Amino acid sequence: MSKSLNISYDDIIEDSIGKIISYLKGNYVLSKRAVALLLLQEDEDVLEKVQDTEKSNFIKIRLIIQKTKENYDKPLNYIISLSRQELVQELTEKVVNKEEEKNRNISDVLSRLTMNPITGIPILILVLYFGLYQFVGVFGAGTIVDFLEANVFENFINPWINGLVNSYIPWQWLKDLLANEYGIITLGIRYAIAIILPIVGSFFLIFSIIEDSGYLPRLAMLVDRIFKKIGLSGRAVIPMTLGFGCDTMATMVSRTLETKRERVISTLLLALAIPCSAQLGVILALLSGSPKAMMIWVAFVAFVFLFIGYLTSKILPGDQPSFYMEVPPLRLPKLSNILSKTYTRMQWYLAEVMPLFVLASVLIWFGNLTGLFDIIIDAMGPVMNWIGLPNEAAESFIFGFFRRDFGAAGLYDLQASGALSPRQLVVAAATLTLFVPCVAQFTMMMKERGKKTGIAMAAFIFPFAFAAGYVLNLILVTFGVLS
Amino acid sequence: MECCENKTQWYKKLVAVLLGTGDCHGGVKQNTYGLKKIALVGSPNVGKSVLFNSLTGAYVTVSNYPGTTVDVSRGKGKIGQQEYEIIDTPGMYSLMCITEEEKVTRELLFKEKPEAIIHVIDAKNIQRMLPLTIQLVEAEMPVILVLNIMDEAERMGLRIDIKRLELELQIPVISTIAALNKGINTLKERVDKYVKVA
Repeated sequence: MSKSLNISYDDIIEDSIGKIISYLKGNYVLSKRAVALLLLQEDEDVLEKVQDTEKSNFIKIRLIIQKTKENYDKPLNYIISLSRQELVQELTEKVVNKEEEKNRNISDVLSRLTMNPITGIPILILVLYFGLYQFVGVFGAGTIVDFLEANVFENFINPWINGLVNSYIPWQWLKDLLANEYGIITLGIRYAIAIILPIVGSFFLIFSIIEDSGYLPRLAMLVDRIFKKIGLSGRAVIPMTLGFGCDTMATMVSRTLETKRERVISTLLLALAIPCSAQLGVILALLSGSPKAMMIWVAFVAFVFLFIGYLTSKILPGDQPSFYMEVPPLRLPKLSNILSKTYTRMQWYLAEVMPLFVLASVLIWFGNLTGLFDIIIDAMGPVMNWIGLPNEAAESFIFGFFRRDFGAAGLYDLQASGALSPRQLVVAAATLTLFVPCVAQFTMMMKERGKKTGIAMAAFIFPFAFAAGYVLNLILVTFGVLS
Repeated sequence: MECCENKTQWYKKLVAVLLGTGDCHGGVKQNTYGLKKIALVGSPNVGKSVLFNSLTGAYVTVSNYPGTTVDVSRGKGKIGQQEYEIIDTPGMYSLMCITEEEKVTRELLFKEKPEAIIHVIDAKNIQRMLPLTIQLVEAEMPVILVLNIMDEAERMGLRIDIKRLELELQIPVISTIAALNKGINTLKERVDKYVKVA
């Protein structure tokens, strides 16, 4: 195809391009002209590549770039982009015809309302209350989980499996592996299907609707100012809210952030203070009985989020992030996309969670068989007592080490047996929220941010979670709240 | 959806499955070995993944915010009589990259040399998005321009002269409304023709 589109820059740049091209002897996938332009804009990767290919000539190229830069008081990147923008301007004037905008419609009004702090914050609270609390917490983690737990598993599947296993299998060890208190089916699969799946499913459904409506970028605009205080920009809203779905996924998404500093801060905050959907759902359901307990949990975790974010932004060197984000129009979500998205995510989640839950059951079974489990629980006892919890709570923490959601599900069992007071419940929920990222998230942290950073974060989070739990318990006891 | 088909050892795979650390997060990786490649590129939130889904029949996550896709997805798609590897990429504003996921896309363009690069833009923001088209043309890459979300542009009162734009840019230009499956067939025809000529 003939390249008759004439893209030219000013004489100085054109001259430099010509000179650079004469030194480019290697083979590049893109045209030499494009390579020269990227060199002038000092693109690091391209500089490196050209240095490797052209060897001694690279010094001459460097010199040309230096000389060219001296002609302008603005970076060449800016100059070059500007000429391109001018060309595009000319082009669009020829091909685009803009009629007067039709009357402003309802989505414009709504869009403005979501971004204005005065109306935006109440809207956010409404979204959180109905979407998260009512639908995920009360309906998903309450109604559906209760139904599956109490009616399906407790009354039907568990007795049936236990009966089957106990009458046909002669060996106690195999009985315990499959059924009874910590069996693969009665614990692992029950947790996955009856507790985690409904919560995650209802969360993903609501979240898909929110995602497709275009609300998230508006939320980003709304909280940009607060996020600036903790070294992040509004852009970080996306990984942060995704974290409420699955922190592992969110850690990966944090690579969309511009600066390394922002990526490190958001990875740490995700690991520390953002509960994942399953954990969140269980905690919402557990605390929904006592609004006061819920408020304390929310306030505490939010405080930790902001406080640690603020501290890290002070410690970590680097500039404030700039914030530029495209705000797409509000759109009516398409049902077909919502359903396939929810379905894909649930499928993915279940596929990921199921083997792990089975593995955890096996490990716990092994620990029980050898008595190792009791030793660990006893060893963790003092730590539990230190933050005001009974020894049995150690179980949830050990579970939580495998996966956040597994730990929360353990807490659900503990609460159902009536072993925890409201105060203990809040402390346990808060500590578990802060406590280690699950294995998958930890692996992702090391992969995305590097081993050293990942391990350093875990080393910080581990003691911090318990210290924070201790402080929270102390405050609650001292002021006699929730006793 | 077959994930992670690279040749990792079986025990590593097993550990990854058991710990849930496999990295298949909403992406698609079909076996497309040896097929010619077509890459979808463009700014974030213009509908690359929607197009990917309709060209391949697979499902990758699609949302209404920039940055949904952070990893490359690959799927098989039939265009004309030929099967291609269709590649969905994370959004990229410019060939001068800032973020890590932009670099992923650029590296891919440089290393894999696709037969055709479909630059998808949001028609209503044409002015802001054409500079990347210009850069791709400058780089002498095989670009096809897709003006997506045409319905919203029209609702805003924008009339775009596609023929004229094609003439000015000297590359194929197609308008689509990918979410409503409009313009996909035309796109396929044009890609087919384009790849055959090249």
